[in-house]
Amino acid sequence: MSSTISAQTSPSAKVAENGRTPRAGKRDVWLVFWIVPAFYTAFGLIFFALARVMPPPRPDVTTDQMVHFFHAHALTIKIGFGILVLIVGGAGIANGIVAFHMKRMTVGSVMAYAYLGAMSVGALPGCLLVAFCFLTAVYRPGRDPQLLALLYDLGLLSYVGSLGCFSTAYFAFAVAILYDKNEIFPKWLAYVSIWQIVTEIMAVPVFVSKAGPFAWNGSIAFWMGVVVFGFWLSCVIVFLMKATELQPVDEPPLE
Amino acid sequence: MANAKQTAADFDSAAASSVTGTGRQGTVHTPGDGHMWVMVLGDLIIFGAYFIIFMVYRAMEPQEFLTSQEHLNINIGVLNTLVLLASSWFIARSVQAARAGDHARALRLTYLGGLCGVAFILIKAYEWSTKIAAGYTISSNDYFMFYYMLTGVHLFHVSLGLLILGVMVRELRNPRRRRMFMVESGATYWHMVDLLWIVIFALLYVMR
Amino acid sequence: MTTTAARTTTYAWIVLSAITIVSWWLAPGHTRGAAAVASVPITIAVVVLGFIKGRMIIQYFMEVCTAPRWLKLFTDAWLAILWAGVLAIYLF
Repeated sequence: MSSTISAQTSPSAKVAENGRTPRAGKRDVWLVFWIVPAFYTAFGLIFFALARVMPPPRPDVTTDQMVHFFHAHALTIKIGFGILVLIVGGAGIANGIVAFHMKRMTVGSVMAYAYLGAMSVGALPGCLLVAFCFLTAVYRPGRDPQLLALLYDLGLLSYVGSLGCFSTAYFAFAVAILYDKNEIFPKWLAYVSIWQIVTEIMAVPVFVSKAGPFAWNGSIAFWMGVVVFGFWLSCVIVFLMKATELQPVDEPPLE
Repeated sequence: MANAKQTAADFDSAAASSVTGTGRQGTVHTPGDGHMWVMVLGDLIIFGAYFIIFMVYRAMEPQEFLTSQEHLNINIGVLNTLVLLASSWFIARSVQAARAGDHARALRLTYLGGLCGVAFILIKAYEWSTKIAAGYTISSNDYFMFYYMLTGVHLFHVSLGLLILGVMVRELRNPRRRRMFMVESGATYWHMVDLLWIVIFALLYVMR
Repeated sequence: MTTTAARTTTYAWIVLSAITIVSWWLAPGHTRGAAAVASVPITIAVVVLGFIKGRMIIQYFMEVCTAPRWLKLFTDAWLAILWAGVLAIYLF
């Protein structure tokens, strides 16, 4: 009897017998959410296995070696980055749903827009430019080696060196989380975002370093950034899921 | 997670002890909130990795690192260390004052700590400018790249620390706030900044 | 009590500052005109002092001495691994 009554109330208001808040959330938000882990899985496959950008090829190589790199990996680059330019909208969607939940915070919308804006600007140098450079490099076999070397450098410098936009986004994210009274995301996620900024700062020397820990393939400028980013992304996906789950189904549409 | 329970319990005990003004002898207490400790411990791990990597590269070119190190001004290094230690002392005393309910004093001490932080930044800026003027830039060699990057990212942490001290000040000024866990969290972060500098000072300036 | 805590904090600060002055004296001798030379005993001293200073900041300023055991263990482990690692890499 009581269960039929409670079934008619908002699911987020009722707590199940085992004490856990039951899964709720809005269906359209759920749909968008699942695109995020799907996209990043594909992104990981593309960047690690196909495009050979993670880990990046070395900066301290000769022009001939750069030419050889493009010849050796032409097929997987075409497949991988060809798919990427098709699905890269997934990054936009990921940023969108984060901004959506940020708008539910008590700090208001401005930080959400800062995050969205900064991440969107960062997507070109941080993700697409290397794709287009590499696709261009393998487009015509027999391209001038000097041009191939240029595309190699341009692609990888932009990929690893596109720091400022993302740092700004992470900062907006951190500030929003720390001041949010609705606790959309846990406070410690703000601090993980600060670590992200730290790793971006440590990548600044890629523009002057050709080898060693601060080169674009270096242990500090690249690898530690990858580790922290992997952790940050995993946390964000988990907490996006929780935020989506805990959003009351009857919450009115945001402004 | 145990952290959350700990935090809640400690918040209560902190609140209790700040009301009575007694110390916490025998009371186990995590200063601040668990979230700030995530920041601090994670940051310590990240910096730990940077320090170990520094040592590895140093071991590959010990002579270059040694001769480059000579160009650093140890006096400035010592001065900066003393300044940061003093700032930590001010902040630690500020937390104690806040616990005892003397918020005016806590506020003054926080300002003094912050002032030391600003002094640190100015001294560091001066140090960098003299090095650059002498021709030792980030691309001079591996040692100087580490020097600028380690002190640079540390400077970022100091700046962030000043922001956090600002939040602490806001907390202390408002009689309707003055939550101990906020004050303690800010202090914990600040001490971490000091702690990291101690290691940087030892590795970059002193050891040979 | 509050005054004991104040005294402990101040003593810690004085000791930390004193150790820093000692490090000044240990540092490469360019301030005294001599060239820097690698020195194992000095580096060992620097490592040990670094460990002690770090531990004092953690225990007394960060108040880990009255913190739960997991925090004490974690911070001590971090100090130990860091400085042991530094020394090991330096020596080998």
